[in-house]
Amino acid sequence: MNKETDAGDSRPDPGMESAAAKSKAQARRIEKEAFQEGWRASASTIPAVLAWGVVSGMAMVKSGMTIWQSLAMTLTVYAGSAQFAVLPLLAAHTPLIVIFLTAMIVNLRFVIFSAAVAPHFAHLPWYRRVWYGYFNGDISMGFFPQRFPAHTVHQPAGKLGFFEAVCYPGWFAWQIGAIVGILLASQIPESWNIGFAGTLALIAIMIPMIINRAALAGVVVSGAVAVAAINLPYRLGLLLAVVIGMAAAMLADKFIVKEKE
Amino acid sequence: MNAFDVWVSIVLLTMSTLITRSGFFLFGHAVKLPPRLQHALGYAPAAAMAAIVMPDLMTSGGAVDINWTNPKLLAGIGGGIFFMATRHLLGTIVAGMTLFTVLRLAL
Repeated sequence: MNKETDAGDSRPDPGMESAAAKSKAQARRIEKEAFQEGWRASASTIPAVLAWGVVSGMAMVKSGMTIWQSLAMTLTVYAGSAQFAVLPLLAAHTPLIVIFLTAMIVNLRFVIFSAAVAPHFAHLPWYRRVWYGYFNGDISMGFFPQRFPAHTVHQPAGKLGFFEAVCYPGWFAWQIGAIVGILLASQIPESWNIGFAGTLALIAIMIPMIINRAALAGVVVSGAVAVAAINLPYRLGLLLAVVIGMAAAMLADKFIVKEKE
Repeated sequence: MNAFDVWVSIVLLTMSTLITRSGFFLFGHAVKLPPRLQHALGYAPAAAMAAIVMPDLMTSGGAVDINWTNPKLLAGIGGGIFFMATRHLLGTIVAGMTLFTVLRLAL
């Protein structure tokens, strides 16, 4: 394991066992300190993640999934907004291909996230890159690039510790919350419409994504198309809305740039 | 929805998580997204959220329902305003659900 992390450090003289051991212990200490730093930075998000996990657990069961299906979904999928997006589609007997494409579109932001974070872990073997990639969600994106900007790509020290401290507690908090929600869901009457909490969560996730007027144009156009196309078969209106919304945002970008010139 | 389709959906969703999150960790050195495409992709998630949220707020039973008697629409707008004022995710869910419940019982 330390083969990679040592690669960037100054090499001790050959034959000096104690020096090598010392540098190994030092590397471990750096990761441990980075873990504590990462935990201090991200601990404040834990209650929200926990509570949101509860909402996701309830929403899964309330959409008609069994307890076992809900547990399997939360433990493997681990992508709240994709789950919230797909639940009404599952209930409406939407074709699997539309469900998959919807999840892919909602998850597209992770492609951007991982393009930013992945270079920092390029020195690791492939299975560890897949492992860390799996945890690179919204929370790690909120903390990691801020602490390790792009120019630190070739300095691996402290990154694994920090990343793990941001990601692992968040995973556990989310799953504990989800399991509580799954088990509690049957106690809540249907008329409370607890699934609407998922829509409210999506609104709160969407608003910070509206970073400029072009993004606003994309959101308005996409929403309008989705409402207008509500009766298209197979929920195709959703995919149509996203494509037209993206085109609207790109078009708006063009006009805004022209306006500035 | 039959059980088999739900299980297949869970597998597909897990694949989607892995592809989008780990894809670049695996092949990042081999792939260079064109800047224009990266730019366009940046707008996709917000557009997708809108395409899911708006029909839930503005339609009921397959018909457009933009009315002051539609509790979801009002609660959604209220939740949005609450979030813009406080930037608090959980508070938004609580405030939105409370507003929705009050409206549902009152309207």
